[in-house]
Amino acid sequence: MICAPQERQVPAAMLTIQNVSHDPFYNQAFEEFVFQTFTDDDVFLLWQNSPAVIVGSYQNICHEVQIGALRRKGIPVVRRISGGGTVYHDLGNVNYTYITQTNGAVDYDAALGPVIAALNAIGVPARKDRVCDIAIGDQKISGSAQRMVGGRLLHHGTLLFSSDLTALERITHQKNDCVQSKGTQSAICTVTNIRDHLTVPMTIEAFQANLLDQMVPPDQPRMTLTPEQESEVCRLRDEKYRSWDWTWGKTPAFTYDRSGIFAGVPIHVTYRAKHGIISDAVLDCAVLDGSLAARSLNGARLDPDVFAAICRRLAGGAADELLDLLL
Amino acid sequence: MEKKIEMPKLRPEMESGVLCAWLKEEGDTVSAGEPLFEIETDKVVNQIEATASGVLKKQLAEEGDTVKVDTAVAVMETE
Repeated sequence: MICAPQERQVPAAMLTIQNVSHDPFYNQAFEEFVFQTFTDDDVFLLWQNSPAVIVGSYQNICHEVQIGALRRKGIPVVRRISGGGTVYHDLGNVNYTYITQTNGAVDYDAALGPVIAALNAIGVPARKDRVCDIAIGDQKISGSAQRMVGGRLLHHGTLLFSSDLTALERITHQKNDCVQSKGTQSAICTVTNIRDHLTVPMTIEAFQANLLDQMVPPDQPRMTLTPEQESEVCRLRDEKYRSWDWTWGKTPAFTYDRSGIFAGVPIHVTYRAKHGIISDAVLDCAVLDGSLAARSLNGARLDPDVFAAICRRLAGGAADELLDLLL
Repeated sequence: MEKKIEMPKLRPEMESGVLCAWLKEEGDTVSAGEPLFEIETDKVVNQIEATASGVLKKQLAEEGDTVKVDTAVAVMETE
């Protein structure tokens, strides 16, 4: 079912800042920099990431995704500053960010209303669904999340235009039930691409240009960052978004308990992780050195590269098989 | 004077929130407007700032705890 377009609620002045980067670490830093810097204006951003998994501020990555599989595919995991669940981005997905004032009350419709109206105006039969999703019919095209600090609201969301939905579902639907943790858990939804619901075909470039013109009328400012501001974004990217402390050190405390088969024989692995540091590790497997495993894991950082190195030391050529059992 | 800080109700439908992170430790001096802790509810992370200056006397919830709205999560000794 398609609902009637919602009333336009675009404020009188809204600016946009161009961001042509596809680097998911840079783009998270860009968004946070804009949120912190442009505090007098409403801002609307459109941006795209090369393939990446983006997790909520307080999520347990180990629970949400298969870390070994992502590592082998070279797909990075990036932690964002808003709440909510895990999403997969690729170049068929368009992200939007809407920054405005807030009185402290959470009102999704204030942010979603203008976006849905803009989508409707450019021929996308979108409607609001659940708490803060956008759907076509009963299939989700957009999920969103927010962060509120000091009277400012950052609302951002995905817009699936021509994403690889098979990859998206493979990556986001495989939870790791060996992880027992308090962190924020993701919902699983049926998704669809906007491109498949257009009566008049549109490229993803035209989609972005049309959407931007709806949200930020052509007489409003279209800005780019100064070189100094870009340097600040790069600093934030390197010091925060690429740091172990932000991505892995923020993982909520959890216990890990997994039984499986390694090299054809039973294996049982347990450990704890708090502030991203491993303790109480026990690895029981007839073909592996359990004592070396415990010595290597205890005190180690919760870090795929560290775990991969430990797996190589313990299992040599079968390191990948072991990594999938340890994370 | 002791002042209790409660889990705020951010949406009419909100029943509880998760206290995700403490940004001040017990015994820390806090100025009005400084961030005290972060909560998450329904996909929103909200930084909660102190409304008065003082000392954070007691944290009543641990990081990761789900707390009902209007339940105290912190005690401040205000000036």
